Amino acid sequence: MTAVAHVTPRLLLLLALLRLPIRRRSAGKVRASPPRPEARLLLRASYNLSSHLPGITIHDLRVCVSPHSLPGTLPLTAPHVEKALPSPLSSGTQINQKKERKVDLVFTTELYNPEEGNKRLGKCSARVFFRNEKPRPAVNVTCAQLIEKKKRHEKDYQLYKRMKQLQNPVDVVSIPDNHGHIDPSLKPIWDLAFLGSSYVMWEKTTQFLHYYMAQLSRVKQWKTNDDAIDFGYTVLLHEFSTQEIIPCHIHLVWYPGKPLKVKDHCQEPHTPEEASGTEEGSAVAPTELSNF
Amino acid sequence: MKPLLGTFYILGMLVPGGLGYDRSLAQHRQEVVDEIVSPWRSLETYSYNRYHPMEEIYQWMSQIREKYTEVVTQHFLGMTYESRPMYCLKISQPSNNPKKIIWMDCGIHAREWIAPAFCQWFVKEILQNYKDNSRIRRLLKNLDFYVLPVLNIDGYIYTWTTDRLWRKSRSSHNNGTCFGTDLNRNFNASWCSIGASHNCQELTFCGTGPVSEPETKAVSSFIESKKENIVCFLTMHSYGQLILLPYGYTTNKPSNHEELIQVGQKAANALKAKHGTNYRVGSSADILYATSGSSRDWARDIRIPFSYTFELRDNGTYGFVLPEAQIQATCEEAMEAVLSVLDDVYEKYWHSNSAEKAMSTAVVLSLLMSFISLL
Repeated sequence: MTAVAHVTPRLLLLLALLRLPIRRRSAGKVRASPPRPEARLLLRASYNLSSHLPGITIHDLRVCVSPHSLPGTLPLTAPHVEKALPSPLSSGTQINQKKERKVDLVFTTELYNPEEGNKRLGKCSARVFFRNEKPRPAVNVTCAQLIEKKKRHEKDYQLYKRMKQLQNPVDVVSIPDNHGHIDPSLKPIWDLAFLGSSYVMWEKTTQFLHYYMAQLSRVKQWKTNDDAIDFGYTVLLHEFSTQEIIPCHIHLVWYPGKPLKVKDHCQEPHTPEEASGTEEGSAVAPTELSNF
Repeated sequence: MKPLLGTFYILGMLVPGGLGYDRSLAQHRQEVVDEIVSPWRSLETYSYNRYHPMEEIYQWMSQIREKYTEVVTQHFLGMTYESRPMYCLKISQPSNNPKKIIWMDCGIHAREWIAPAFCQWFVKEILQNYKDNSRIRRLLKNLDFYVLPVLNIDGYIYTWTTDRLWRKSRSSHNNGTCFGTDLNRNFNASWCSIGASHNCQELTFCGTGPVSEPETKAVSSFIESKKENIVCFLTMHSYGQLILLPYGYTTNKPSNHEELIQVGQKAANALKAKHGTNYRVGSSADILYATSGSSRDWARDIRIPFSYTFELRDNGTYGFVLPEAQIQATCEEAMEAVLSVLDDVYEKYWHSNSAEKAMSTAVVLSLLMSFISLL
């Protein structure tokens, strides 16, 4: 099996959360560990803010997908379609003896922001590749033209302006609050934080471990000389199979048109030392991201 | 009226440590954008579209009891680790009919706030509609409902006062250095064999032994004492949008697996018809992950035939911190699913009026025939 598909340099991050059933040929006994994932692929995409990926804008774009079927020896669960998205058009998964897991996926995307309505945008195809059950799957995604480039840049700049207008320094306790509310003025923070968190989640995702952003627990924004958006926050990630909550400190620097810079520092559960994203993974890290 | 209302409130305050709820702290924690919550005095102004702290849920239970006294009674199950009383509400239409029991519990995991919200919603729907809704009236002819709005009371309070994402109970371990058992790993169903941890630090800590926790004991004893009559056991969680069947501790299927799938799928369809939300149906080991010691598996193992875990909204966008704005839609669709299950259960045990009528007609005829022949 040859080369791993690299994360497209243009692509900021594509988070693939792969959950596949582990089936025994023989009946009955369940393997002792690790926990068995479900037969479902959840794909979250956040795109480069100066997105070279045709048509996708950072602005509230998130993709949730479930495959209609997983061919091969894996028994099927009932086909499932996420409400948020139209059904994926096709998908396929392969596992070989070297414990590599490759999933091919074709799906459609839509705008994440509910205020803008559920607009179906376009068709994408992706290949997600795990090797040796390691994190940082290699992801290759291409999408048909979604929104025109000019509009994308407009939306990015609107986001930038809203961030700049926030009272400085921003010092917020939690987003959303414990009752699930996000003040509209704070929504841009959530969006950008989601982007940064997605990178961290991608760094940690394996076939068995998949993450969600549970809550932002502390946000601080700083001024910069060159007018970039510069803020730090703590995100609480929820890992589904262990049910753990993992706090990650993330420092994010962004200017529209320039690549996002992310620095992260996560507290692994039950270990006294904090670990940053340095573990060797299946894929080479995107070159535009720098851990400074 | 008033003394009764006061009683449970005071009871809650007098237990050691009180209810541990600092109202001013909670209000401070609420973001500025939240509306001012006006204190409610009667059931008429109780909002089912908001999340309520434990002290309000205790009050709500006693008000429900007062208002619907002809069908509602409150039952004591036991005390939590931090010495708080666990109560469930029984809804029962007095009659001579033999009754079977439906059990529903919510909030075994503290951070899953939408679940207790659903239990309250369910009770409200049944009580507001049982008189003039024929579907609900029919169910109450032969079914009694037992609803436990919050199972993990200590944990739930902790999510209001201290840590919104707390999951376990608040029992103390390792000389007070570690807290909480995952109550849904503590039941006596292949206890701690898989998908659970012996390490208190972990979120799936199974406890010091099967049914080691007072909350688990309280629920287990109660259910054991009535198990011959319990036909349906529903336990509500979030998130994930799933209807889960036994088992989690093995991929082996219970004897009525096919039936459980059918009933579950029908419920998921009814749910989807309401607001278009997709819930998946399957056994826990198949579509989620391996777990042992879950209440649902234990219920099935003591031969309660219809045993389901519901994982309510959403799919990870907000996760445990589901916005209050979604409570109504989540509860409405889940209500359809639960009613669908209950209809199927009802059909199974009291399936046809026509069959019964035919039976009784035949009996009368044969009696008449015997009479005539004696003349």
